[in-house]
Amino acid sequence: MNNINFYSSFSDALSHMFDFDIPGEIYSSLIVMLLICLLSFVIYFKFKHADPLEERPHGFVLILSSAVSYVRNFTIELMGKKWEGFAGYVLALFLYVFLAFTFSLTGLPSPATYLAVPLSLGLCTFVLIHVTAMKANKWKYFNRFFDPFPPYIPFFFPINLLSMWSPLLSLSLRLFGNALSGYVLMTIIYAFFGQISSTIFAFIQSGVNQVFLAPFVTPFLHLYFDLFSGGIQTLVFVMLTMIFVSQEDPDTSEEEMLILKKPEPEGN
Amino acid sequence: MNYIAAAIAVLGGMACAYGESKIVSHALDGMARNPEMYSKLRSSMILGCALDETTSIYALLIAILCLFIG
Repeated sequence: MNNINFYSSFSDALSHMFDFDIPGEIYSSLIVMLLICLLSFVIYFKFKHADPLEERPHGFVLILSSAVSYVRNFTIELMGKKWEGFAGYVLALFLYVFLAFTFSLTGLPSPATYLAVPLSLGLCTFVLIHVTAMKANKWKYFNRFFDPFPPYIPFFFPINLLSMWSPLLSLSLRLFGNALSGYVLMTIIYAFFGQISSTIFAFIQSGVNQVFLAPFVTPFLHLYFDLFSGGIQTLVFVMLTMIFVSQEDPDTSEEEMLILKKPEPEGN
Repeated sequence: MNYIAAAIAVLGGMACAYGESKIVSHALDGMARNPEMYSKLRSSMILGCALDETTSIYALLIAILCLFIG
């Protein structure tokens, strides 16, 4: 691959300015981000003009406020009261991963089938895990690399150094593998029904006769491979992120403190 | 040779299927014994299945890599 070119003149260089080799998935990802931005602006203005004295919110506002409170309760339930501010990131992650996964329903390539996108999402989680651990443990953070033994016996150091990357790999490859397997299976099924259709409707002009069977079969499969799988994988991704991040902070939450502070049974 | 490698890689799906059957059978046991827990058990079961499916998806990923890249 020789991408370095020397252009003879300025206009020549200008005409080659948009010759980037950017795959379509990145454009899909940009479209998803744009959709989320638009949605957040719409939400902002809807909520700004919503009447707080109205007895019952309805329509858009009702759905959104219940979604936000659901995500907040979910976060508090899983991570403890201290992490209430994390709910914003969780909601953004929910929206982006779900929309990116189900974007293949529009016919454009889904961003989740391009490894860079799940890998960068996993990298966000990875950075969050380590920043949280550093904040919580200060200098004792580095003890994790020598774990079962004290730091002056670096016996498990290589193993711990390798296992450091496992959350990143498992999170990103899980998302990528699910999206890619759905995409590959759907492509195979489309090719198969196109083939059958072209043999049955051979009397119609070739090229047109491939499209008669697939639309009656594939919607159910799209329901499974895109919507169901996407929803489950979104939930798994978000839950694992929350669990990984919250387990780095060893402080117990209030409910656990209440349980721990129970008076001991009398006697003895 | 690549096709043989892909076929061996996909055999990892067997273990995943066994694990998934374990998950579902135990979840059904729990549901039959305690029908009030049905909805809670179902959601955890689907989550566990999704986590378990990951194994077979890694196998599929490696098979695809063997076929198209290796």
